[in-house]
Amino acid sequence: MSQLLEVTSLTAGYDDGPAILDGAHLTIEPGKVHCIIGPNGAGKSTLLKAICGMLKIRQGDVKFKGESLKGLRPDQILRKGICFVPQERALFPKMTVRENLRMGGYSLADKSGLERAIDEIEERFPILRERRDQHAGTMSGGQQQTLAMARTLIIRPEIVMLDEPSLGLAPKIVHEMFGIMKMMASEGITILLVEQNALMGLKNSDWGVVLDLGKTLFEGPAPEVLADPRIQELYLGGKKAA
Amino acid sequence: MEQIVQTLILGIALGGVFALMGSGLSLVFGVMRIVNLAHPSLIIAGAYVTYWGFKLWGIDPLVMLPIAAIILAAIGVILYKLVFEKEAKSAKYSEMTVLLTFATAMIVEGALGGMFTNTQRVTSPDYATDAIFFGNVFIPTGQLYAGLASLVIIGALALFLKHSRFGNAIRATTQNRDAAELLGVNVNFVGIMSFAIGIGLAGAAGSLVSFVFSFFPAKHWEWIAVLMSLVVLGGMGSILGTVLASFMLSIVAAFVGAYFGSTWSSMTFFLALFLILLVRPQGLFGEKPELA
Repeated sequence: MSQLLEVTSLTAGYDDGPAILDGAHLTIEPGKVHCIIGPNGAGKSTLLKAICGMLKIRQGDVKFKGESLKGLRPDQILRKGICFVPQERALFPKMTVRENLRMGGYSLADKSGLERAIDEIEERFPILRERRDQHAGTMSGGQQQTLAMARTLIIRPEIVMLDEPSLGLAPKIVHEMFGIMKMMASEGITILLVEQNALMGLKNSDWGVVLDLGKTLFEGPAPEVLADPRIQELYLGGKKAA
Repeated sequence: MEQIVQTLILGIALGGVFALMGSGLSLVFGVMRIVNLAHPSLIIAGAYVTYWGFKLWGIDPLVMLPIAAIILAAIGVILYKLVFEKEAKSAKYSEMTVLLTFATAMIVEGALGGMFTNTQRVTSPDYATDAIFFGNVFIPTGQLYAGLASLVIIGALALFLKHSRFGNAIRATTQNRDAAELLGVNVNFVGIMSFAIGIGLAGAAGSLVSFVFSFFPAKHWEWIAVLMSLVVLGGMGSILGTVLASFMLSIVAAFVGAYFGSTWSSMTFFLALFLILLVRPQGLFGEKPELA
């Protein structure tokens, strides 16, 4: 199967600090939901930040459709079709919901198409229409996450990377977020999900990747990873009980 | 009663000019996290541009205003490239900019003094010494024009920031730099342009200052505390806050000046700065204090 995104022996970290990622690898196939799991500090978020250009790649490479993304800025990588929704959701708290959506289409060349695309998003996510003139910072966590995820659709990205979309949300809302994610996947968008709750993440994914200490331990179809005794022991033991 | 109205009018007129002087400073801090202590010295540079345009060729200060703005904006770009760009990734960037801009202020002051001497100057178009009377209450025409010009420029700035694509990118970068970059904004370019606009606003303010106040190269030291108090009261980086703070403090200063003498009038700003930092360091519209 062809690879959309390929990460090879990637080393990266924050500023001059130690390497958080230390030889991680990853292959992303088009149209699937990939879930990266691993304990705290494994380098899950760091991996997404390195792919989208927020962190410098020290060693190794990230290739998108065979082309290296090394040295590109986040705004340039976005224009290739890779969207990143970080944990903090990347919203502009003192801009309205509509303005936030408009910023989502900042990279589009077709300005007239932008308003139409925003209307479409509002159609699909009625809550965003309802709140269109409200400051994004005054919405609930679930609404903010909905806005952050829906906003990626405006530029019709190829890959959307989600860093813990469930963080701080009630179970019912988390369920909704995974619903949005699956809907995105059903439209052909490739998903790269980082999830602290490994069980829930894997249940909603096609492919699982296990990261520890900055390295890829192993990967495979999500049900297999879920059933793997190493996982049960290492990461899911405590979680399952909780 | 007449004195109260009179004082209020003078306070409002002055507030308009301060609002323009402070808004450039606020914009530059909001987007770039640069605490630009050189801002008032660049306002004075703008005042000199206007002064010489009027003195040598008789060009009205209000006509010189866009010219001064463009010249200062260009100086802003050069300044940014020379002084700030290399430091932009430093962890102590904001603190560093205090030192860098302090040095810049001294260099600008020295250069202006070297070129134009330390003589007090004032641009003197006819309206600068005129006044409009309503019974016993008067408005100095110069201050009226300066206040109106300020409001027009700030209004244009607000419309630009709120409704243009690039203006939205500037606001977005101010609120969440990483997020703006993730959505495709070239934040470095936005930074340079915001700095240019901010310094351009200093140039425009300089044109107005040149006929409202007399000025000389070292005058900027007087203003830095005044402008800082406006920006801090408004909330660092909030332009709306700066504008409101300008009117509030100018009006208070006008009343203090009228009832306690003009020495105390300028004290108002220092005292306000002190009180704000004690009571509400984030100002009217600011986020949590980063510098207090």
